[in-house]
Amino acid sequence: MADVLTETVLPEDLKKFEQIYHGQLYKNDVTPKAQFDYAFCLVRSKYPADIQKGIALLEDLYRTNEEGQRDYLYYLAIGTARLKEYSKALGYVRSFLSIEPGNQQVMSLEQTIKKKMEKEGLMGMAVAGGVLVAVGAIVGVGMAISKSK
Amino acid sequence: MSTGPYNYSYIFKYIIIGDMGVGKSCLLHQFTEKKFMADCPHTIGVEFGTRIIEVSGQKIKLQIWDTAGQERFRAVTRSYYRGAAGALMVYDITRRSTYNHLSSWLTDTRNLTNPSTVIFLIGNKCDLEGQRDVTYEEASKFAEENGLLFVEASAKTGDNVEEAFLETAKKIYQSIQDGRLDLNAAESGVQHKPSQPGRNNLSNDQQANKDNCAC
Repeated sequence: MADVLTETVLPEDLKKFEQIYHGQLYKNDVTPKAQFDYAFCLVRSKYPADIQKGIALLEDLYRTNEEGQRDYLYYLAIGTARLKEYSKALGYVRSFLSIEPGNQQVMSLEQTIKKKMEKEGLMGMAVAGGVLVAVGAIVGVGMAISKSK
Repeated sequence: MSTGPYNYSYIFKYIIIGDMGVGKSCLLHQFTEKKFMADCPHTIGVEFGTRIIEVSGQKIKLQIWDTAGQERFRAVTRSYYRGAAGALMVYDITRRSTYNHLSSWLTDTRNLTNPSTVIFLIGNKCDLEGQRDVTYEEASKFAEENGLLFVEASAKTGDNVEEAFLETAKKIYQSIQDGRLDLNAAESGVQHKPSQPGRNNLSNDQQANKDNCAC
């Protein structure tokens, strides 16, 4: 019980769809559906390695299967956001919205990602980091000036 | 952190299910935003919404999982049924096929939820009386035979939308009061937040942190 970025897949579900995918892989005949279903479970795992794998499967689908592009983009955004790769996640959100502007579900995901960034202080850190660089630059310039005197 | 004391004492998990295009997301949107989404694209996987309501003086947070109706998502969205305290099963009164598929949705719900899960049948789009394809009486009889709550609603006008979500919560709350719903069971779909504002702040924060780590 949480939201789209924190709820996790049931281990038995992950296993079930993994078996279907591997069964097809063994026969060298993987359907986009089996690959998507497995990836859908992987990106909702609590283990980052699973999420990585899910993202790789979705990227592959995105390149090779024209039909489900919006599904792949959406879950690529979810997967990368769960790995805290927020700028990537927001990139997928923007790509989606450029194709389908005003999509409520995706706009709500964008809000959830931004809220999470805020909560983790990433917005703040970015600002603080910028200030530090600026202070460093001023000190550096000051030192250079004082040395040159 | 923005987590102060909780301003609600329970969390209820809901799912919304039913055929593609019956208006599940529009019902959710009408309930959470009080607005009608005129042009509603197909949901991808699942969508999530929340709203805090009040039942018998208790604040309750509804966590609502709105599932995609497209057949290709059916296998993967089944996992969201688990631990739902309430299930809103939706059909479109202007499309008979969406009504005919209800028994299949009901079978899934019964198999994947627990006996105390409250199932509410919603006949959506009741503003389109002229295009009606399923009578009120027929659906009402189906609901009665299967022990479901039932209402005809319109996500467009907002008619009965609030009622459906609130009645479900009342029924769940009643089950808790009667002791029919075990709060300690992991699958009950209900979380109790026994916090009094201004007290137990420490334990609240710990609880909140626990929530954050997705365990």
